[in-house]
Amino acid sequence: MLEIARVSKTFNAGTPNEMRALRGVELKVQDGSFVIVIGTNGSGKSTLLNAVAGSFFVDSGKIKVDGSDITRWAECSRAKFIGRVFQNPFSGTAASMSIAENLALAAHRGRRRGLGWLLRGNLLREMREQVRELNMGLEDRMKNAIGSLSGGQRQALTLLMATWLRPQVLLLDEHTAALDPKSADQVIALTDKIVKRDKLTTLMVTHSMQQAASLGDRLVMMHGGQLIQDLQGAEKRRLRPDDLMARFEEVRRAELLDENAAAMLKRMYV
Amino acid sequence: MSLLIGALTLGLIFSLIALGVLISFRIFSFPDITADGSSTLGAAVAAILLVHQIHPVLATAAGFGGGFLAGALTGTLATKFRINGLLSGILVMTGLYSVNLRIMGRSNVSLLGASTLANSAERAGGRLMGSTVLNVMGWEVAPREASMLLASIVFILAAGCVIYVFFQTNLGTAMRATGDNAQMVRALGVDDDNMIILGLGVSNALVALGGALLAQYQGFADVQMGIGMVVWGLASVIIGEALVGTRSLGLSITGAVMGSVLFRLLVAIALRLGLNPNDLKLATAVFVFLALITPALLERMGTLRQKSSAETSHA
Repeated sequence: MLEIARVSKTFNAGTPNEMRALRGVELKVQDGSFVIVIGTNGSGKSTLLNAVAGSFFVDSGKIKVDGSDITRWAECSRAKFIGRVFQNPFSGTAASMSIAENLALAAHRGRRRGLGWLLRGNLLREMREQVRELNMGLEDRMKNAIGSLSGGQRQALTLLMATWLRPQVLLLDEHTAALDPKSADQVIALTDKIVKRDKLTTLMVTHSMQQAASLGDRLVMMHGGQLIQDLQGAEKRRLRPDDLMARFEEVRRAELLDENAAAMLKRMYV
Repeated sequence: MSLLIGALTLGLIFSLIALGVLISFRIFSFPDITADGSSTLGAAVAAILLVHQIHPVLATAAGFGGGFLAGALTGTLATKFRINGLLSGILVMTGLYSVNLRIMGRSNVSLLGASTLANSAERAGGRLMGSTVLNVMGWEVAPREASMLLASIVFILAAGCVIYVFFQTNLGTAMRATGDNAQMVRALGVDDDNMIILGLGVSNALVALGGALLAQYQGFADVQMGIGMVVWGLASVIIGEALVGTRSLGLSITGAVMGSVLFRLLVAIALRLGLNPNDLKLATAVFVFLALITPALLERMGTLRQKSSAETSHA
């Protein structure tokens, strides 16, 4: 279970560029729950994922995974609980190293790395099997540098890497946004398959209303560094892309209203 | 002939420095210039221990260890204290100059009369080949030089294999991945700061080992001997890349050794043809400069030519 309790984060505090990216975010994700995170640009979706991953320390609040308080853990220490796939296909893999080496590095996620041989025979066989299941014909190219592959292939492999050792939490940060539609569909199908098969506790940020409506069992909407909607169960299942657009429109209108109200108050009192 | 064998032996010893530079500059993409100081450190530590009758193997190992500490210090400055990598190296290198003087007690330590690895190589060679002057394809070769060359070949072969194997282990691949993509490595639970500290340690340990062997080969350690080592190492790495490419780590290691040997041969030939030894470092720097800009220059010329030919075909 992932618990995010009253987490706040302000970037560039005290400067003209001050940015209150997270404002008291409260979210409990049950084991095996697949949560979709949507929101406007700058609403704090990616910041929330990065806060969980440990890219920075939060200003206040607590983050717990399976009861362990990881709020003050370094990014690399948290990795033993957390699997990640980034938006940029280049971020999740080492381009100059082979497919086999990349996967094998991930097969040791969060473990001590000593002087044992990385590419052991049985691990190599297992990796070939898993890569064959991607149906991308990569199982015969295990020794090729991963930099020679397409973005979609690299993202599929990154997903395989992030979930090789079952993570307590899987973080997907718009991991299909940089892909062409066909590759994006492939990676999404793979995501759904792996998350369901391994019953992974997952947070997935997406810009695609289609993905937001069709994937996951829970959906949260962020705005201005806060969670403003939380749909679960039957409500989430009934959700269609159009409903989501309507809700976005609602948020936008409420915002406009706020601005008008602020302007009116200013005229009256200042 | 003696010139050729000397150049080959020196090239092999210097290839340890090239391998150190390969690790810092190429594997970690870290512009580490600690090597100018750590090569002298290795020589100084080994020399002073040898003068005090310590076993040559132990003395050489101590030089190796000293280099490791120096590199790890540069890595610590760069990661834990967030000092620019180049500046970290400059700070450690500058500090090492005084440290080296302190270790040696003076600016030059002679190994005349001390028992060194060079003597051991000579003795072993003597037992193997006898003490008569050898005749290799009509050339006369002194047994001392032949045994040194042979010992260097064996040593570098072993060192190259150890380095190659190390970078295939769990730890070694994590280090390579750190140089390639630090973000990914953190996401896989590796402390990238520690990898850089360790990696620069290994890199400078090799460089210091090269310094320690060089001191024993030439029979003295000098506080100035490290100046220009980084550029020499870089020149060797670049030549190696031109010779064998960069497709795999094994090739890169082989290339660095070949590059170092070839570079020493070129230097020996240039000196024979009358190059003033004082101009050697300038010549090396110019060489590295040209090697660095040539690929981009060729590419630009290629596109220009394509463009002009496209224009003529239009006309």
